[in-house]
Amino acid sequence: MTLSVENFPAAVLPPHAEALRQEVKAFIAEHAGALPAHQRARSWSGFDVGFSRALAARGWVGLTVPVEYGGPGLDPYCRFVLVEELLAAGAPVAAHWIGDRQSAPLLLHYGTEEQRRTFLPGICKGELFFCIGMSEPNSGSDLASVRTRAEKTEGGWRLNGQKIWTTYAHKSHYMIALVRTSGTSEDRQNGLSQFLVDLSLPGVTVNPIALGTGDADFNEVFFEDVLLPADSLVGEEGNGWKQVNAELAFERSGPERIYSSLVLLDLWAQLLGPTPDPADAARLGKLVARLAPLREMSVSMTALLAAGKSPLTEAALFKDMGTEVEQQIPEEIADAVAARPDFVPDAELMRTLAYIMQASHVFSLRGGTREILRGMIARGLGLR
Amino acid sequence: MNDDNNILVDGFRRLIADTVTPARVREVEETLSPASLWEALHASGFLDMLVPEDAGGAGLMLPDIFPLLLVLGEYAVPVPFAETMVARGMLSARGVSAPEDALIVLAPASATLPFGKLVTHALVARDDGLHLVEAQGKGDDIFGAAGALGLTSGASVGRVPGSSDDLMIGAAAVASAQMAGAMSRMLEMTLRHAGERAQFGRPLGKFQAIQQQIAVLAEQVISCQVAARTAFSGTSFDPVRVAAAKCRAGEASNLVCGISHAVHGAIGATAEFDLQLYSRRLKQWQLAFGSQQYWATRLGMARAAPGNPNTADFLRRNLAWEIVS
Repeated sequence: MTLSVENFPAAVLPPHAEALRQEVKAFIAEHAGALPAHQRARSWSGFDVGFSRALAARGWVGLTVPVEYGGPGLDPYCRFVLVEELLAAGAPVAAHWIGDRQSAPLLLHYGTEEQRRTFLPGICKGELFFCIGMSEPNSGSDLASVRTRAEKTEGGWRLNGQKIWTTYAHKSHYMIALVRTSGTSEDRQNGLSQFLVDLSLPGVTVNPIALGTGDADFNEVFFEDVLLPADSLVGEEGNGWKQVNAELAFERSGPERIYSSLVLLDLWAQLLGPTPDPADAARLGKLVARLAPLREMSVSMTALLAAGKSPLTEAALFKDMGTEVEQQIPEEIADAVAARPDFVPDAELMRTLAYIMQASHVFSLRGGTREILRGMIARGLGLR
Repeated sequence: MNDDNNILVDGFRRLIADTVTPARVREVEETLSPASLWEALHASGFLDMLVPEDAGGAGLMLPDIFPLLLVLGEYAVPVPFAETMVARGMLSARGVSAPEDALIVLAPASATLPFGKLVTHALVARDDGLHLVEAQGKGDDIFGAAGALGLTSGASVGRVPGSSDDLMIGAAAVASAQMAGAMSRMLEMTLRHAGERAQFGRPLGKFQAIQQQIAVLAEQVISCQVAARTAFSGTSFDPVRVAAAKCRAGEASNLVCGISHAVHGAIGATAEFDLQLYSRRLKQWQLAFGSQQYWATRLGMARAAPGNPNTADFLRRNLAWEIVS
């Protein structure tokens, strides 16, 4: 067994999807054009309720949600174009990001009719924000060892435990949490289930975790005898692991895995001007050369997902390479900028660079670490 | 790729697998006599894939021949088959036919010239266009792969419009595709070796450290294949797409050779083992038709040129697969 270019069939974005692009560009220019680069560099970490609501008013949150549930019912190609433009510009998408990318597709796939009618319209209106409860203090890469537990009670579930590294839990309405409903952490992937947790319920405590950058997107979330209604279970009891894995191809195959440092790259390129020094041009070109096949692979996986396939190993391979380039961008630019000590660099470039230099450590942690992804690739190659 | 194309590629792969054995590769490298191998390949008719149908060829396009060039790389084909195929296409598009038994390379300015010792002709740039000239390789064969350091060229036997840069772009594109093919074979050999060779009581491929390295190897191979495939989309070679492909191939060759040789241990470098057939060729191609740095500089200049609002726009407009309508 091997992996090759055949795993990524050549694909293009169809005209109906490209037709959306200029409208999206115009919208971004109007609603996020004034943001300085160091803020736009927050990219999909930038949280702005006003922006998400305005985007939703255009019908662009929950783009693939069918009309009957309050979305425009567009296809994954349209979503690729929308997301590509938002990320390239560094638009602040975090408020609706998780609901749009993961929670809505999960509920469409595994939710009950009632859950879909209750939650999807709110996601599409930019009124309901979601976070994801996966990691725990003792379960990072080893996700199957989670210990947070939901026990059946009369008429529902009682939730106890703790989640950590939960992005924007303090600004979200709901968490989709992966927890244990039977057995112990020794039972690994068996006995896990997914729940919709209303974060305003009694017994839920959200504490911020400050990062060295000064940002506080992350939280730890405690559950102490939180009583969940019976209909908060998503999908089948005990099927949580499979459900989580089905999301991963969506989570790991998009442009967000290659564009996290693009605002920095483009600001630097702009400052270089039309005739850069050859050494700077070579750095720029080397980064563009690494990005180019990755964008092609992402378009290819969009086509595979649109055709109902689940390119999990492919997405792991793409994400590992993509986050590597996202980290190489600040490395190259830092090296280039400081190569001329007598030259005073642009202040906004320095702010943006400093942010990305610090934030980029996390690019290859979020959504599956480098080592986990390479392990998946090795499995795809038949080594495990 | 459609079914017709699959049949074409499968047929070509069988031909090459049967004809170009590793023993045959070594024989050409040692004797510098390609005649019998060339005769067998020439008779297949595949050299005229790009020649228009009304000129007796198959009338195929660049995207159709890309998988064939991957195959040539995978089998370390030791003769300028891809180069001759592309040269015949470039000439015939302008109504010029090459001598039937010519072994041709595209010969822009280059630090090395793969297959240079085997050629009868070369496409070279002169002030008034591209000339097909009688040619002989000169200088040392520094990789022992029938390469040369330059050419002694003779009389022109045909001329078509074109610039030295067209020649550089074409040569780099053809090299990138074969490099990607060679890399995919090195991945395959490395996987096989990691499954067979045991140390400390278990196969190498069971060690996590080795698994992680081979995952990186696979990433690099696929990245190069995708970049080269895009360079073969559309109706003609585009400088930006080729720049990305050759830049990637040049850069990735270091990792690919490094990891596959590390996994193999010293046996991989021995004459009797096939791995070095591929790594020698990759190293030679790194030195041919512009390095990673050369193409990265050109690509960076293209990105920096006015009219590109951001990198995502640049990628979409200039580095995406182009459908031939």
